[in-house]
Amino acid sequence: MTQHVVSVLMSGIFHASILFLVSAGLQVVFGVQKIFNLACGSFYALGAYVGVSAVQAYAAAGGPPAFFIVPLVLGGLLIGIVGVVVERGLLRFVYDRDETFQLLLTFALVLMLEDAIRLTWGTSPLSTGGMYLVYGQVRILGAAVPVYNLIVIAASLAIAVGIGALLTRTAFGRIIRAAAGNREMAEALGVDLRRLYAVVFTLGTALGTIGGALVIPATAAMSEMGIELIVEAFAVVVIGGLGSMRGAFVGALVVGVLRAVAISVYPELEMLLIYLIVIAVLVLRPRGLFGAAATAT
Amino acid sequence: MATTRRDFLTMVGGAAAAGMVSAPAVARAQAKKGVPTDPVKIGVVAIRAGIAAPVGTAGLRGTEWWADRVNKAGGILGRKVQLVVEEESNPKDTVERYRKLVLQEKVDVVLGGISTGVTLALGTVAEDLATPWLSWDGTTQKGVEETMPNPKWAFKSVDNEVEAIVAGMLTPKYFKGIKTVAGIGNDYSYGHDCWQSYQAVLKRYIPDVKFVLELFPKLGVTDFTSHIAAIQQSKADLLMCSFWSGDATIIMKQAAAVGLFKAMKGVFTTAGGVHDSLKKDFTPEGLLLGYNTMYFDDPKGSPLLKQFVREYKAKYNEYPPYECDHAYFNAESYKAAVEKAYTSAQEWPSKAQVVKALEGIEVESLSGRRGWREDHVQMCNFYQGLTTHKNAYDFATINPIEVVSTKQAMKPAGAKLFDWINSWKI
Amino acid sequence: MTGRLGLAVAVAVVAAVPSVAPTYHVLLMLPFMAYAVVLLGLNLLFGYTGLVSFGHALFIGIGASTGAFLTSNFGVRSLEAIVLTAALLGAVVAAPVATLCVRYVKIYFGMLTLAFGMVFYTFVLKFYRLTGGDEGTPYLRPSLLGFGLEGIPKTDYLTGPYYYYSLGVLVLAAAVMWRIVRSPFGLCLKTIRDNPAKAETLGIGVGRYRWYAFMISAVYASVGGALLGAPIGNVDPTLAYWTHSGNIVFMTLLGGFASFFGPILGAFVFIYLEDILKSLAPSYWRLIFGALLAAIVIFAPGGLMGLVRRARPLRAT
Repeated sequence: MTQHVVSVLMSGIFHASILFLVSAGLQVVFGVQKIFNLACGSFYALGAYVGVSAVQAYAAAGGPPAFFIVPLVLGGLLIGIVGVVVERGLLRFVYDRDETFQLLLTFALVLMLEDAIRLTWGTSPLSTGGMYLVYGQVRILGAAVPVYNLIVIAASLAIAVGIGALLTRTAFGRIIRAAAGNREMAEALGVDLRRLYAVVFTLGTALGTIGGALVIPATAAMSEMGIELIVEAFAVVVIGGLGSMRGAFVGALVVGVLRAVAISVYPELEMLLIYLIVIAVLVLRPRGLFGAAATAT
Repeated sequence: MATTRRDFLTMVGGAAAAGMVSAPAVARAQAKKGVPTDPVKIGVVAIRAGIAAPVGTAGLRGTEWWADRVNKAGGILGRKVQLVVEEESNPKDTVERYRKLVLQEKVDVVLGGISTGVTLALGTVAEDLATPWLSWDGTTQKGVEETMPNPKWAFKSVDNEVEAIVAGMLTPKYFKGIKTVAGIGNDYSYGHDCWQSYQAVLKRYIPDVKFVLELFPKLGVTDFTSHIAAIQQSKADLLMCSFWSGDATIIMKQAAAVGLFKAMKGVFTTAGGVHDSLKKDFTPEGLLLGYNTMYFDDPKGSPLLKQFVREYKAKYNEYPPYECDHAYFNAESYKAAVEKAYTSAQEWPSKAQVVKALEGIEVESLSGRRGWREDHVQMCNFYQGLTTHKNAYDFATINPIEVVSTKQAMKPAGAKLFDWINSWKI
Repeated sequence: MTGRLGLAVAVAVVAAVPSVAPTYHVLLMLPFMAYAVVLLGLNLLFGYTGLVSFGHALFIGIGASTGAFLTSNFGVRSLEAIVLTAALLGAVVAAPVATLCVRYVKIYFGMLTLAFGMVFYTFVLKFYRLTGGDEGTPYLRPSLLGFGLEGIPKTDYLTGPYYYYSLGVLVLAAAVMWRIVRSPFGLCLKTIRDNPAKAETLGIGVGRYRWYAFMISAVYASVGGALLGAPIGNVDPTLAYWTHSGNIVFMTLLGGFASFFGPILGAFVFIYLEDILKSLAPSYWRLIFGALLAAIVIFAPGGLMGLVRRARPLRAT
């Protein structure tokens, strides 16, 4: 019995780790720039595909399987640079526009990235093959847990802690929180918003691409995987509260673990359960668990 | 030379009238009497995006290979083949593209169609537009029952649930002592149909089998760790899985990570669709694996198949999945039907004449001989077998190989599926 | 006066299309007209009230499903009955959704509507025994003004009687919407869009008026959906997917949300452009469309009508 509970919990936490990374990317961008980036799923997909390519190149060059995680993470991190290109090349033109135009621009990004990914990597599902199993498994209270999953959970946790520290203990973090709280005031106090936006957006993008790269050994890169994920990430930020990092963390845990429990206990529900919770949150506590009060009027 | 060839063709045409057309070695034919000289336009609808994109890609590649081959040999009755390709996406958009192919591009025939949601819409449109439509992998079934039993222009793929039925037949042969079964499939018609059919068939062979768990994750899910945990908890003797795309690879990998198949038996009805991604590292031996209608490494495979596999691998660095066979068959049967109808019409046949010639026809496809049943449903063989690592590849293949025909595994025209299954003599 | 004349000419041209254009292009006009009805409603919300919904495909889905269920399961073929029922069902569903959504503006409104759209999509997909799931439900040929018209081939039906019926519905819908936006109600909406605080002080119940606007837009979207479904012949959940909602917002923006006829122009251009691109660039039409949307958002947020206006700045509206 404990074995099963542990299995369910661990699988839920694994899923939550990935969700957290993608949602954190969403949140940091929304918190500071008030842009809901519909393309966060596309960045996730980009990270996944680049991750596969990096590992495949590494394996072809004869790299020892035990260290495959290095090219994987590097690949995911480096492609985050796309964030700079997108921000400087597209997003910055619409900062003075209505939020919904910004949202539409991210929708345009979704369309463009879909085809770009397909033109680059084709339509067949791509995976890193058996690399996932390279680190073996451990037994936790009788349940077999792949070590790779634990690595991902640890990495995600480390990133969460890192972001938390960044936000609360560094000057840069203070600036981010200031700009998130009151943009005009921050600017009046001398914050270079343009540079901040570039950095923040790139950070958000990189969180997504790393999430995609980290998850790929356990799954496979498939066409339109980003369009699917945005819906789950959306649930996370609604439950957690738009713009809140703590919200991303807790929201991801809620969605990940509840989904795992639902599958185990009442599979019929699965995603529907998450949606019901989203609606309940929107009706009862619209700002989510940790969000700022959503503006009405 | 030309005279001898033409005599040969007439002879072959005569044999075609008896319903059999051998692999035609059409040489550089002159313009034939009554045949236009401009190319014959063949419409193709292929999925390009989403989870079924690899299937659509395989079908398109198979069709293109066929077209190149036919054109090198002179075309159909001397007319070159010109493919006009449109995208299959959602039903609304695909219906519009289909209409464009027929009304604007004026194609003689449309090939393609994979997703049943789309093909249900295309079926009625094909009938309206009076142009033959040969579907690769889509049916006009609602669940397991046929909605268009007497189509005039629409030609449908095998029933959706055939491979699940085949798997159900083979399960008791290869896995003894099965008492409890868990099932996982995609949460849409195909997943549900396969599970229902598999259960019905298995119950005939193992009357007191218990189905202890059924899971239907949404199409497109990429993480099954929670599902696998639930499957482990069920302690079923066997898992039946009807995934056919990247998710088959994913669940195999994630299952291997927790050693699911160490104790549990596995039946993967359709994972042959992504067969070359099922690497030996994480795909154990001894699973029942289905390759739909084409097994690329068939030791009894024809020279045609071997050539196709070789050239496909050289061009795409992948091994071809079954959709290539459906696509090749559709195109080749169209060609054969045109040639057959020509022998009586002595001019390029009308669409209606082509349809008549298609009914009951058999041709040599990549996987061997297959044909169209009188009620416009594909008839062919299904390949399933136990996974093995004893091969020259880095992925699993099957040995032994079971070949089951639709004559055994597909309900006859007009029959109700579960009545038919329950009527079997075991 | 020239405005009225221009309009009459436009309608006459559209009416003449079946007689002169190739069949395929006539058929393309059908989704154009259906989307035009949807967008008239969507723009009441977007252009006139300042709320961008990312979930309106939900109502398109409801409208199309109404047609499918009435014709397949209840034997009701009358398109009038279908349209009216679709309008009613759209309103019934919109009432609670609107109540929840209009509490918010801007991004939150967009997200909420997206959420509701996806809930509907998931519901229809999951409860397949009820809804047909991914296989959908057939939308059989509706009868028009009492005439069955089963005898003629479907294509002739669609390019003939159904075409003119759709045109009639569009003209009627446009006329009604014209009155709405020109009425005091419409004026209030514009005030709410431009300055909600001021509107409040003027005694305009901001929440209430937004609610009405949402309701009307939902009714229009449902009616459009009912028209959209018949030519397909089978209604399935993909009609309610969030990217479909995104596309109709795209159309509105393309044509110009600040003008009454902008969205209609947007629907026309979108559909024809999509058709051309899908044939010319089958592997990367989405890339081109995405770039087009980005270009509009950045350089021409007023859409095509905005560009036209810029070209003739001295013309009084």
